[in-house]
Amino acid sequence: MQISPILSALRHHKAGTALIAMQIALTLAIVCNTLFIIQQRVAHLSRPSGIDEAHLLRIQNQWVGQHGDYAPLLAADLATLRHVPGVVDAYATNSVPLSGGGWSTGLGLKPSQNGPTAMTAIYFADDHTLPTLGVKLVAGRNFRADEISDMPALSKPTPPFVIITRALASKLYPHGDALGKSVYVAPDKPSTIIGVVRRLQAPWTGNFAASFSDNSTLVPFRLITNGTNFVLRVRTGQMGNVMRTAPKALYAANRMRVIPDDDGVMPFSAIRAKAYASDRGMAILMAVICVMLLAITAAGIVGLTSFWVGQRRKQIGVRRALGATRGDILSYFLTENLLIGMGGVLLGIALAIGLNLWMVTRFEMQHLSLWYVLAGAVALLLLGQGAVFAPALRASRVPPVEATRSV
Amino acid sequence: MLKMNHLSKVYRTEVVETYALRDFNIDVKEGEFVAVTGPSGSGKTTFLTIAGLLETFSGGEYHLDGIEVSQLNDNARSKIRNEKIGFIFQAFNLIPDLNVYDNIEVPLRYRGMKGAERKQRIMDSLERVGLSSRAKHYPAELSGGQQQRVAIARALAGSPRLLLADEPTGNLDTQMARGVLELIEDIHRDGATIVMVTHDPELAARAQRNVHIIDGQVVDLSEEPRFHSHPEETTQSQR
Repeated sequence: MQISPILSALRHHKAGTALIAMQIALTLAIVCNTLFIIQQRVAHLSRPSGIDEAHLLRIQNQWVGQHGDYAPLLAADLATLRHVPGVVDAYATNSVPLSGGGWSTGLGLKPSQNGPTAMTAIYFADDHTLPTLGVKLVAGRNFRADEISDMPALSKPTPPFVIITRALASKLYPHGDALGKSVYVAPDKPSTIIGVVRRLQAPWTGNFAASFSDNSTLVPFRLITNGTNFVLRVRTGQMGNVMRTAPKALYAANRMRVIPDDDGVMPFSAIRAKAYASDRGMAILMAVICVMLLAITAAGIVGLTSFWVGQRRKQIGVRRALGATRGDILSYFLTENLLIGMGGVLLGIALAIGLNLWMVTRFEMQHLSLWYVLAGAVALLLLGQGAVFAPALRASRVPPVEATRSV
Repeated sequence: MLKMNHLSKVYRTEVVETYALRDFNIDVKEGEFVAVTGPSGSGKTTFLTIAGLLETFSGGEYHLDGIEVSQLNDNARSKIRNEKIGFIFQAFNLIPDLNVYDNIEVPLRYRGMKGAERKQRIMDSLERVGLSSRAKHYPAELSGGQQQRVAIARALAGSPRLLLADEPTGNLDTQMARGVLELIEDIHRDGATIVMVTHDPELAARAQRNVHIIDGQVVDLSEEPRFHSHPEETTQSQR
C-alpha cells in the first residue's frame, strides 16, 4: 500500500484535508444523533395501541336542546348503531386510545395512600368494550351487563371492579398475581381486579403520559353526559359504508344532536395519523436534514477532489509515465479519501458521543447506541468513497503524455 | 532495442489532419546512445513520447525490446514503462509533495518491489548522483541541477534498459548540465540504451549517433556508430 507517501503528500494540503475531515466529523456526529432520534420517533409512532385499529371507527356525538336524563338516549343510540349494516359491535365511552383527551388518575394499593403506586388512564367501559376494541383478555373475565352502572358527569368514580392492562398489573403487583387483588381508584374504597388485558394504550401520545402510556384501567361505567364517544367495530371492507350510514342512522333516530363534520366520524387509521402527525413530521424533517447534510458532505468531497485532480494533472501524468496503471491512480485517490475519511470518522465518533452525552444531560435523551456510531462511520466512509469515485476515475484517465506537457 | 517502421502520428481535428510523424523509421540497437536533434516542431518530442509509450501512434510498427507495442493494452504499456524505461524530462517532473526519497520510490512501488529492496536501490541511486544527504529534502529545497539528478536517480533506481531523455539539460546552467550529462554517460557505460532529444549540438555530439528529424521524418540516419570522444570532432562531422 502507498499509505505513507499519501500521508506525506496530504501534509502539503493541510487546509483542504482538515476541512473535509472536519466536515465528515460534524456530519457523522449530527447524522448519528439525528438518526437515533428518528429511530426513537419511529419506534414511538409505531407502538401498538392494543386495539384492532383497522376495524374501528369513532363517532363523536353532542346532544343539543336536550336536558336531564341522557341515559335512555345513550341506550337508544347504541341499539341503533349495533343494527347498522356492517357494524359488528359498539359501545360508548369517555375516551379512546390515541385521541389525545381523556381521564387519568393515580392508583394506590392502600386506602388513602400517600402518593400513587402507578398512574393510569381511565376508560369507561361496558360488556361490549373488549369485543368491540378487539382487546385480548389474558387473565380473568370481562364485565357483565348487570355490572355496568351509569355515572353522571362530575361524579367521582368508585368502581367495584376494574379490568387493567398487563403493564399496569406488573407495576401494581410485580409478582404477576394482580388478578383478584384490590386497587384503590378512589382513595377509600377498594376495587377488585377482575381481568387483565394484554395491551391498551392511553389516549395521550406525547410526553404527558410517556411514563404510563401502557397503563390503562377499564371501569364499568356509562358516562351520562351530553357528549359521548361511540366506538364501532366494523366488518372488513365496510368502513367506508359505515362511515356514511352510521351518522345518518343516528340523525334518523334523533336529529337533536351534532356530529362534527371534520372529525366527528373518524376511522382509527386517521386518529393514529393525527396523534402522531408531529412525530412523523419531525422524523421527516430530521431525515431531510440528514440527507442534505450527507449531500453537502459528498459535494464537498467531490469538489475538493476534483480541484485536486485538476491541480495534480501533471503529477498524475508523471506517475503514469513512471508506470502507474489507471487502477493505481484510481486506488491512490480512493486511498487518499479513505485516509481523510478515517481521520474525520475518528473525530466524528468522539463528537457524536460527546453530543449525545450533552443531549442526555440537557434533554433527557437516551444514550446513543454504539451501533449507530459504527454504522454511521461505515456509511460516511462509503459515502466518501462513492463521492470520490467520479473525480478519481477522471484522474485515472489522465494520459501519461501529460507528463511531457508544460503547465 | 527500439525499432520503428513506417510509423506515423496524426493529430486530427474536424477540419485538418496534422502529421507529427510521417513514414518514420528508426532502429536503435541495444546499448546505443542516440541523440535526436531537429528544429522546434519537427516531431522530436512526439517521437520520444511514442518511444516511451506515453502516447499511441496512428500507423506503422513499433518494436520495443522485441515486443510489438501497438497491440498492448494500457496496463501492459504501464508495466513496460515501469520496468524497461527510465525518463528524464526537461522540467525534472518531480512530485512536489514528496521528498527526494519518496520521489525515487514512486516507480519502485508501482513495480510492487519489497520495502528493503526499494530502500537499497534508492540509497544506491542517491549515492550515485551524489545526493545521499538530501533524501529528506523536498524538490523545492533543491537547485535545478540537484532536481535533475534526483530525476536521474529515480530513473536509475528502476535499472531501465532504455533511458529516454527529453532536453535533460535544457533548464540547467553549463556547469550543472555537464554534471547531468556525465551521469547519463555513466548510465550508458553501464549498458543502458539512451535516446536523448536535444537542441544542443554540443550535447548531441556526445552521443554515439545522431538522428535528425525534420517535418516528422528522419532525414539523416547514420548507420555507422561513432564512439564519442571529442565534442569538437563530432560537432564538425555533424555539419
